[in-house]
Amino acid sequence: MKRVEVKLSLAVVAPLLDVIKQLAGGLGQKLAAPQELGDIDTEFRDAWVGELLTGQSADVQALLALFDDEFFLEGVVAFDKDNAEPIMRACAAVRLRLREVYLKGLGDDILEGGDVELEELSEPVRKAFMCYLFLATVQELIIQYLDSSIIES
Amino acid sequence: MTFDNAKSSPSTETLSRTELELSGVWRVVVLNDPVNLMSYVVMIFKKVFGFTETAARRHMLEVHEQGRSVVWSGLREKAEAYVFTLQQWHLTAVLEPDETR
Repeated sequence: MKRVEVKLSLAVVAPLLDVIKQLAGGLGQKLAAPQELGDIDTEFRDAWVGELLTGQSADVQALLALFDDEFFLEGVVAFDKDNAEPIMRACAAVRLRLREVYLKGLGDDILEGGDVELEELSEPVRKAFMCYLFLATVQELIIQYLDSSIIES
Repeated sequence: MTFDNAKSSPSTETLSRTELELSGVWRVVVLNDPVNLMSYVVMIFKKVFGFTETAARRHMLEVHEQGRSVVWSGLREKAEAYVFTLQQWHLTAVLEPDETR
């Protein structure tokens, strides 16, 4: 099985985990982004949202599981075909919540381009933006190395 | 949508609505969002619809530049399944009737 190990800087990543964990807590009860369900009837809608929430919650747990004791000893996280998909989805969910909670004031052009003066941001927004970039990097790494495993699974 | 209650029982109302909902052609439309990476969206299109890299990139760019792309059309039940899957991946996906047919 193809497996990718990435050595991360503990000093950089560890402080971001508090923000990720804080937002992850809310993702068990609320969808990362509201979804337009059109004319789907109420009963079906509840089941639909319930299944999305269950999946979202499991995905977020897979993301948090990356940062275990081994990570805090060695700074290493590992991706393989079993955890790649849930981690990709969890990164998307947390990034959506980061935008909603901390980054809306930056504007969508800045979020899409990533061109921002970090020194000009307040501490909570700077930390949130760093998380936003970090999770995008995780997604890019997985796509770069495990794209075919995900597509074929 | 209105029903003629004088002529139809609740069960036939339900049947009529279900028939209407399930009949015809439905579109799966993906809407733009400022958060998800282009490479992520391309990967999802390849995985979910079996698109080639070229087709996936074309739909992704359509979403990015025009705000929306019709990624699939067909029967309602399958369209719902696709919308659900895309929403699991946190894309903004909606179902709409294809009124061009």
